[in-house]
Amino acid sequence: MKIKEEIATILLETGTEREAVIPILQAIQKKYNYLPEEALREVCKKTTITPEQIMGVASFYSQFRLKPVGKHMIRVCVGTACHVKGASLIFDALHRELKLTGDEETDASGLFTLEKVSCLGCCTLAPVVQIDGVTYGHVAPDKAGKILTDFLGQKGKKAKSKIRNTEGEKIEGEIRIGLGSCCVASGSESIREAVEETVSNNGLQINLKSVGCVGMCHQVPLMEIVPANGVPVLYTHVDPKDVKSLIEKHFNPPTLLKRLSVRAQTLIENIQDDSRWEGVERYTSDVRERHITSFLGRQVPLATEFRGIINPLDINEYKSREGFTALQKCLTGMSPDEVTREVLDSGVRGRGGAGFPTGKKWEMVASQKAQVKYVICNGDEGDPGAFMDRMLLESYPYRVIEGMLIAAYAVGATKGYFYIRAEYPLAVKRMTAALQFCRDEGIIGPNILGSGWSFEVNLYEGAGAFVCGEETALIASIEGKRGFPTQRPPYPAVEGLWDAPTLVNNTETFALISWIIRHGASAFHSLGTAKSKGTKVFALAGKINRGGLIEVPMGITIRKIVEDIGGGIANGKKFKAIQIGGPSGGCLPESLADTPIDYESMAELGAMMGSGGLVVLDETDCMVDMARYFLSFTQKESCGKCTFCRIGTRRMLDILDRLCTGKGKAADLDELEKLAGWTKKGSLCGLGQTAPNPILTTLHYFREEYEAHVTGHCPTGKCMDLITYTINDKCIGCTLCAQKCPVDAIEFRPHEQHDIIQEKCIKCDTCRLVCPTDAVIKR
Amino acid sequence: MIELHIDGIKLSVESGTTVMEAARQLDIQVPSMCHNGDLPHFASCMICMVKDAKNGKMFTSCTVKATPGMEIITLDEEIREARKTALDLLLSDHVGDCDAPCQISCPAHMDIPRMNHLLAQSRFEDAYNVVIQDIALPSILGRICPAPCEGACRRNSVDEAVSICFLKMYAGDFIHQQKAKPMGNFAFSDGVPASAAMTTLRGSRVAVIGSGPHGLSAAWYLQSFGYQCTIFDRNPLPGGALRYSVPRNLLPEEVLDLEIERIKQSGVIFQMNAEIDPERVKELEKEFDAVVYPLEKPLKMAIKASAFGKEAAWETRQKLSGQPIIGEPKMFNSRFGKLQESEALEYLKESVPGDRIEPANGFTHGMTAEEVVAEAARCLHCECRKADDCLLRIYSNEYQADQKRFQGPERKPVTKQFQHDTVVYEPQKCIKCGICVRITAKHQEEFGLTFIGRGFDVVIGVPFSESIREGLTHTAGEAADACPTGALARKGGRK
Ligand SMILES: Cc1cc2nc3c(=O)[nH]c(=O)nc-3n(C[C@H](O)[C@H](O)[C@H](O)COP(=O)(O)O)c2cc1C
Ligand code: SF4
Ligand code: SF4
Ligand code: FES
Ligand code: FES
Repeated sequence: MKIKEEIATILLETGTEREAVIPILQAIQKKYNYLPEEALREVCKKTTITPEQIMGVASFYSQFRLKPVGKHMIRVCVGTACHVKGASLIFDALHRELKLTGDEETDASGLFTLEKVSCLGCCTLAPVVQIDGVTYGHVAPDKAGKILTDFLGQKGKKAKSKIRNTEGEKIEGEIRIGLGSCCVASGSESIREAVEETVSNNGLQINLKSVGCVGMCHQVPLMEIVPANGVPVLYTHVDPKDVKSLIEKHFNPPTLLKRLSVRAQTLIENIQDDSRWEGVERYTSDVRERHITSFLGRQVPLATEFRGIINPLDINEYKSREGFTALQKCLTGMSPDEVTREVLDSGVRGRGGAGFPTGKKWEMVASQKAQVKYVICNGDEGDPGAFMDRMLLESYPYRVIEGMLIAAYAVGATKGYFYIRAEYPLAVKRMTAALQFCRDEGIIGPNILGSGWSFEVNLYEGAGAFVCGEETALIASIEGKRGFPTQRPPYPAVEGLWDAPTLVNNTETFALISWIIRHGASAFHSLGTAKSKGTKVFALAGKINRGGLIEVPMGITIRKIVEDIGGGIANGKKFKAIQIGGPSGGCLPESLADTPIDYESMAELGAMMGSGGLVVLDETDCMVDMARYFLSFTQKESCGKCTFCRIGTRRMLDILDRLCTGKGKAADLDELEKLAGWTKKGSLCGLGQTAPNPILTTLHYFREEYEAHVTGHCPTGKCMDLITYTINDKCIGCTLCAQKCPVDAIEFRPHEQHDIIQEKCIKCDTCRLVCPTDAVIKR
Repeated sequence: MIELHIDGIKLSVESGTTVMEAARQLDIQVPSMCHNGDLPHFASCMICMVKDAKNGKMFTSCTVKATPGMEIITLDEEIREARKTALDLLLSDHVGDCDAPCQISCPAHMDIPRMNHLLAQSRFEDAYNVVIQDIALPSILGRICPAPCEGACRRNSVDEAVSICFLKMYAGDFIHQQKAKPMGNFAFSDGVPASAAMTTLRGSRVAVIGSGPHGLSAAWYLQSFGYQCTIFDRNPLPGGALRYSVPRNLLPEEVLDLEIERIKQSGVIFQMNAEIDPERVKELEKEFDAVVYPLEKPLKMAIKASAFGKEAAWETRQKLSGQPIIGEPKMFNSRFGKLQESEALEYLKESVPGDRIEPANGFTHGMTAEEVVAEAARCLHCECRKADDCLLRIYSNEYQADQKRFQGPERKPVTKQFQHDTVVYEPQKCIKCGICVRITAKHQEEFGLTFIGRGFDVVIGVPFSESIREGLTHTAGEAADACPTGALARKGGRK
């Protein structure tokens, strides 16, 4: 009875059409935490949705759960950046900690459910674990248990927001807090609370402002203090505990002197307190001069113009920075054809991966004679090591909207969709709000900006399927189907959503449009290389000193990115390779680092620009393991429709598994290469066609590493089954390793040299990490 | 109209025609499994790939529409290899046996499950006709064969093997007891009838040297193929080792005589006391159109000798009719090895419980009819219901696919869903072509079938916790017939 009523309420919101199935399922899951069969049956009774459809869809998208889950969800990120920093060890440790066996996901008490996710979008904090809303970064395997206790201790402690109205009072300055996902994940929310608290307690007259991602994700959380008169200072890795003292350093609240002694004391305590086990370091120096210039200096912000300055949702601020002037210009002074021509002349190519000339695509859609045409902004961004689209949607929602509106005007579209990945709740929230503000301002809806032209935009939340980034699968998904790609041609430009001509462009592509219109095609054209114009946003992560989002001109070399922008390889290790383009891309060796990056050069080398994930690898990274990692991803994400992709990727993974566990044979390498070739040729959509790239590039550039695995040796010591842990005579008998070993593989023998019982060892790396004298040897 | 070239032949087709349909207009059959009539296209199996001659790219001919000026190649080495690889991949995830393991391990490749099926229904003569297609001497071999088939019998994983050998013996003995009808009418796979009254001989004559199991069997099959056979043997009585080496208590003389008598009745001429030396062989080669020579080394196992005799008959026939000499045509076989415990229970669903039955009246007498019916019912029917018309098997055969090439580390356990009255569903044989899903949707089944999960782990199943009974209320037959594999099949034996 209860379910019936609850479903009825949900259906009132979502509607009862077949295409509403995904929103309906999302609402049900939100309500019950999973999809109870009874609820699904009820939906079928009350709508035109069939059991076949609802079951097919519910089981296709990874967001949906058909079984009840524990009270709290633990998500271990196994995205690329986290993978190279040992995410699987963390997962194993939590698995042990929760006493799960086999495929079990929920612990016996029903408190926690453990799952793997691909990229939480805070790669610079890798490895990352998220429990419900709390994100833990830089997690070490031996700290798994501590995370759980910490989380349980944290619960319910949420402070109340105490925002203070500063209207009409004298402003002494501004405090900007980063609210990009990385910042939020690293705790900027609690910084915000601390700031609010300090500000209200001290009676300061300060503007508190949230800004989008500035791209310095390796330094989060960020707080910038801009005194009304004085130098602005950017603080990185801010700890909420320090907020008070930082603010007080810049502003002189009336009550300060009285409490100075107390403050000094806490400060000292903070410094000596080494229980800060998260491993997050704290900087209190003025880093703007040093870091911003080297990190941001070589970059050219177009899509990310005014980074760190504008408040993502402040429409007036966007307007004050030339926002919507490009749209205005198009609507009042340019014909749709002229707009398309301008985009064509700029030479901009699609940033979603394949690099199709955007102007050409617009022409195709524009030339279709149809009553109804659609524009879709592809914000699915499934590459497990990329987060630029997320950042653009979160930090510059109006810019993306403006780009879409211009496109819609140019191609004669009647309706637009934002398709945003489910794992990006913040982007969804921001975009929803931004769309509403635009409607309120008459920028979306009927008679836009008084031009007589009307256009409506909807937001559609994806449900977790990498393949839905592929445009035909994306369209199937909006239509309420399983995300099965279909044969192209017909291209969406001719026959897309509901069979109407549809323009699908990537988020970043749209983000570039207003700049092009404002500055003219030739300004854009003058940036970049012969065939790849303009700039590209990359998500830089992995083994570098400074990770984050960068926007650089096309044609910049790999080395410049790694060394000048990324600050070189971290921990004094050697630069080995970059992984570019995620699961569709490839691994390129250091010897090719002077290659200028553009669509052509990457494709020639067997990689792919892809959406712009750029993960830097050092000498400790195993290339066979990298290939295995990507194959396990694509294998899981294959829609399962066609033979080569569904079974071929699994069989390639089988071979890689064999190699990484010492069971490989020499003949495996040839078979792997052959199968990779067939999968490329024989798959229906881009997922299968590009899935072999990580294998083919590593086989090509690092064949000797594969050959070593055939002989049972992993040169980098990454492949667990091919290594052993031993303790040498540097051991001082401190017993730390014995205390920490989760499986008692080390006997507790104070003051004696310790020893590892090989049969018990699970190669979790804990002992090596805790040993104070580096006596634990991994071979 | 659209003009294009397929395999160098120019043709024009209506716009909207797929390349596959266009090729069919030229009578070029592009293989296809997941494509079905007017159901929407899906493009899953990838076996229909053809090549664009202009850029060398391959694509699925079932989905791509013909465009003006296309130049298509429908088969070359690369396409062949692509199709074979697709089949190798599908087979690596296809857990099922085409022929039952007993049949595969039988040297004569006798269709044991079909025999059992008929015996269990008391259709003894029909069972005999199945046996005799592969084993010329059922009564004899029923008594002396060491029964490798029983060693491979899957029933061993439940309790004990089916008494295959006694069943076969009964089938043979049954006919001999029906003196009135010494031979049943039976049809060979090429439709040539063989009966005692065979009149239409093909004109060629064959000499068969030796009257042991090899010679008898060769002569029997050649005679039934329509060649007049004459057996030459130096002994006074026919049977060779069967008569002169096998202990009489195992093989009574009257059984031997009866079985040889039947062969005589089929028209085979026996020339006894015929000393055969190299000279005489040369003469025979001149006198006859073909000669079947004895085995170089006599075989210990009579069943093997008899199987080789059948093989020799096929080769001789192929030689005489100018066909490539390949012996008895063999089909591709999908196999998956030993049963796991859970699987034995699945197989038992199709059978009856009960211990192995052996003749109560003693071995030489064989079983009673009641014993036969009960024992034959113990067969688990491990063969595929679509062994004769499964497209996966037919194409695997054509492209010489290799099931072992991509063998994974573990195989999925076999399950069999029997809830439905008329069809059986075996998900591990499914190739995920989606035809059944589209059929149930088209006919608006309340539940129907759907894809569950994605990627490698996707399965076809009934939504919610319903069974195939609820999933296929009025589309069962259509779906089973359209399923390209044995995954969905009609209940009951094969056609
Ligand atoms: C497996 C797969 C995943 C894809 N994922 C994305 C994605 O996350 N975002 C995106 O914009 N394009 C993605 N694409 C590319 C889209 O199909 C499409 O080409 C793109 O959105 C077009 O926009 P553009 O021309 O602006 O690049 C993907 C393609 C494939 C084959
Ligand atoms: S290539 Fe892979 S993802 Fe694409 S349609 Fe085929 S099975 Fe699906
Ligand atoms: S069961 Fe359905 S999906 Fe599977 S092979 Fe048969 S028709 Fe195709
Ligand atoms: S947050 Fe883990 S890889 Fe991005
Ligand atoms: S028939 Fe074309 S893909 Fe199966």
